[in-house]
Amino acid sequence: MAKVLYIDFERCIGCRACMIGCEECSGHDHLSRMFVDELSPGETVATSPTPCMHCVTPACAESCPVQAISVLDGVVLSASQEKCIGCKNCTYACPFGIPRVDETRNLMYKCDLCYDRTSKGRPPMCVSVCPTDTILFLDEEEARHKRSKPVQYVWDFGGTAIETRTVVGIPDTDTHRFGYH
Amino acid sequence: MEQHAQNADFAQRPYEAITREGETLIATHCAFCGMQCGMNIRVENGTNTVLGVEPRYDFPMNGGRLCPKGVSAYRQAEHTDRLLKPHIRKNGVLTESSWDEALDLIAGKIKELQARHGKDSIAIYSGSSMTNEKCYIMGKFARIGLGTRYIDYNGRYCMAAAATGFNQTVGIDRGSTGPWSDIKFADVLLIAGSNTAECHPLSMPYVWGARDRGAKLIVVDPRQTKTALAADIHLDLRPGTDIALANGLLHVMISENLVDRDFIDRHTSGYEALSELVARYDPAVVSEITGVAAGKIVEAARAFGKAKNGFVLFARGVEQHSTGSDTVSNYVNLCLVTGKVGRKGAGFATFTGQGNGQGGREHGQKADQLPGYRKITDPAARAHIAQVWGVDESEIPGPGISAYEMLKSLGEEIKMLLLVCSNPMVSAPSVGHVEQYLKKLDFFVAIDMFLSESAELADVVLPSTVWLEDNGTTTNVEGRVIRIKGIDRTPGESKRDWKIICELAERLGRGRYFDFNSPQEIFDELRIASKGGIADYSGITYDKIDRMNGVFWPCPSEEHEGTPRLFEDLRFNFPDGKARLHAFEHTGPNEKVDRDYPFILTTGRVVFHYLSGNQTRRIEALRKLCPDPYLEIHPILAARYGIGNGELVKVSSRRGSIFVPAKITKAIREDSLFVPYHWGKTLAINNLTNPALDPKSKIPEFKVCAVTLEKAKREELPHGQSALH
Repeated sequence: MAKVLYIDFERCIGCRACMIGCEECSGHDHLSRMFVDELSPGETVATSPTPCMHCVTPACAESCPVQAISVLDGVVLSASQEKCIGCKNCTYACPFGIPRVDETRNLMYKCDLCYDRTSKGRPPMCVSVCPTDTILFLDEEEARHKRSKPVQYVWDFGGTAIETRTVVGIPDTDTHRFGYH
Repeated sequence: MEQHAQNADFAQRPYEAITREGETLIATHCAFCGMQCGMNIRVENGTNTVLGVEPRYDFPMNGGRLCPKGVSAYRQAEHTDRLLKPHIRKNGVLTESSWDEALDLIAGKIKELQARHGKDSIAIYSGSSMTNEKCYIMGKFARIGLGTRYIDYNGRYCMAAAATGFNQTVGIDRGSTGPWSDIKFADVLLIAGSNTAECHPLSMPYVWGARDRGAKLIVVDPRQTKTALAADIHLDLRPGTDIALANGLLHVMISENLVDRDFIDRHTSGYEALSELVARYDPAVVSEITGVAAGKIVEAARAFGKAKNGFVLFARGVEQHSTGSDTVSNYVNLCLVTGKVGRKGAGFATFTGQGNGQGGREHGQKADQLPGYRKITDPAARAHIAQVWGVDESEIPGPGISAYEMLKSLGEEIKMLLLVCSNPMVSAPSVGHVEQYLKKLDFFVAIDMFLSESAELADVVLPSTVWLEDNGTTTNVEGRVIRIKGIDRTPGESKRDWKIICELAERLGRGRYFDFNSPQEIFDELRIASKGGIADYSGITYDKIDRMNGVFWPCPSEEHEGTPRLFEDLRFNFPDGKARLHAFEHTGPNEKVDRDYPFILTTGRVVFHYLSGNQTRRIEALRKLCPDPYLEIHPILAARYGIGNGELVKVSSRRGSIFVPAKITKAIREDSLFVPYHWGKTLAINNLTNPALDPKSKIPEFKVCAVTLEKAKREELPHGQSALH
């Protein structure tokens, strides 16, 4: 069964090990594809990692004028070096702000779930290094249904529902106990 | 690999590391912090070039997980800043030289100064980020290589209070009473003065493990740290009031009969005096002193007292005070009065700050100590070590003085300093004065792999290797002895620290005592030296460490499998077998706020940097994420001074001042300010800190001093370019 990323951001300590770890995957050219955001700076120290959400219908790929972005077994890959023209359409189209363009090579890069590792049965680098197990690599069914807290994988962007393969565990917003407002 | 039973409840994962073509993986441990996480270093075959890091999923402590420092630690190895040749100051400038010239000069100076001023004119200031083998060599070299009583180390700023606190309460100083996996089985965790999430991130799987089983988390910290954010109860105390807070918790547990009278009667002494003293610390009184709401004190005491199993964990936040040792003992009291020790899920621990903070304080580089955690004043200990070293007992000097006292006294009896693996120009309190102290020396030698703020001032700088270029052992936060495995290379003309010391000993005519050809030979001598001591390593071998993924001391024989958990028999290390409950009155910090200096300054780490930053500030990925210090200030206080987010603020104490940009945040108390300490020169917050020492452990009071602040009128110092670049 396909495995997906599961994010439990109540556990995130904002250490950015995932961002630096991402650079360590062979095939990532030492360019990190991971993001960590402060959720409410000044109010709390809460943070959350944002990896590629691996949309079921990826806007990045759909917006690409030269079909440089392909999807392999549900994983949205980085742009093909042969095809990519560095136009940045994908960076504007992605509702989560994930793709980046390497200006020196005029080439888009993004999370490919560490193809170099997952193809050999190892978890991606962010999952491997995350000190708090904020980022897990789980069977898609387990991520969607068997977690101890409510999860989200369909997102509403101005009336457009976007379904993602990355699953997010919803923080406790009733009591705000972990500072997530 | 098949795991030894001691590792059953740890965090290993069932994956194998990936080995790529043309590369070899070196299974070693991180250079930073006492967790000593396992990692694989990727090395190119043939060239020995360090390529990267690969998770070591099967190491129990971290199961391949790493913090950002761990992920990028290897990037020191190929760094262009590395010192590759010895340097001698010539016409005021550090100039490349040969090893022969540098070592001859040093040996000549030692002989000359000792002839003129006596043996004690030479001092060693060493460090705890070195392997056990190196720490052992430093102590031995001071005592019988140089014959000086003056040696101490930077652990004095780090682990000294915990060590003294443990010794006075339970008679033994091992950082943790149990294996780290014990934390997962606690019903309550009380974490005091430790931003575990940032400073020991790989402890978090254990904290979460406990929480997943339903454990309550109590965090004592003046700041809403990442750790406090996850807490059920956050006791946001005023810095410097820990003794009162612990007294308040003890008061509530005693008055509500949540203590274990049977355990107290059978296994402790001093309870009557303790209960008498804490009777005066009711929640209202304690709330007044600490600034913590009385209701939260009661809630925390009940949560801790009612839980069957529980762990108390603490760190520099409670230790770096002029009452640090007693604060440690008072937190340990919480476990002792409730009988929480000696079994899975119950115990206490201090988070070791330095890579080898545990082993580094056991084998003789402390001013008053000989290997195996022996006292240098103990005749039996002296006789044993003299016999191991092959010298007459009278040749071993008496005790020296603590690190900061030593710095202050430079130029008096001490004329020459050998600084190894340490950077007091960043890490010492009131650091503005340290340069003046160092300048009083006739001769100053530094051994380092990068030109630190301290090494910059030296007369001779000798290039050493980075951690992954040597073999040896370290002892982690749990008391587990593990193996550091290195690559067979020494870039440029750099040499391993122990090799430098052996060569220097040879030039001093003491070579026969330092005839070592490998770290393993040193370790084998250390084993014999530690035999029969408190920290007994005699049964630990390199092979056994490999086989068991680390061996917990004490391990008194080759058949022995080590001691993951102390006090299982509830006998403490005193003649009567009873732990000592000491009672402590709240006295507060050495320096109290007043009209001129109305705010409390506290300092600490960030997740991206290690100690004085000499390594991590050079690693681009880490420096990018935290290039400079900053001031955490509460919005109400910032508004009072008209300070906006990111604006430059001048913070001053009686000892010095610093310009730092404001980071306005509700994470800090209104009466307190926080600045991280990893920078030197004008960016060193230690320009402000108070060098008042705990009289028992001689740890300085880094965690509290009185300061004032003003909005800076102009940008007087360039930021965005840390002191190194």
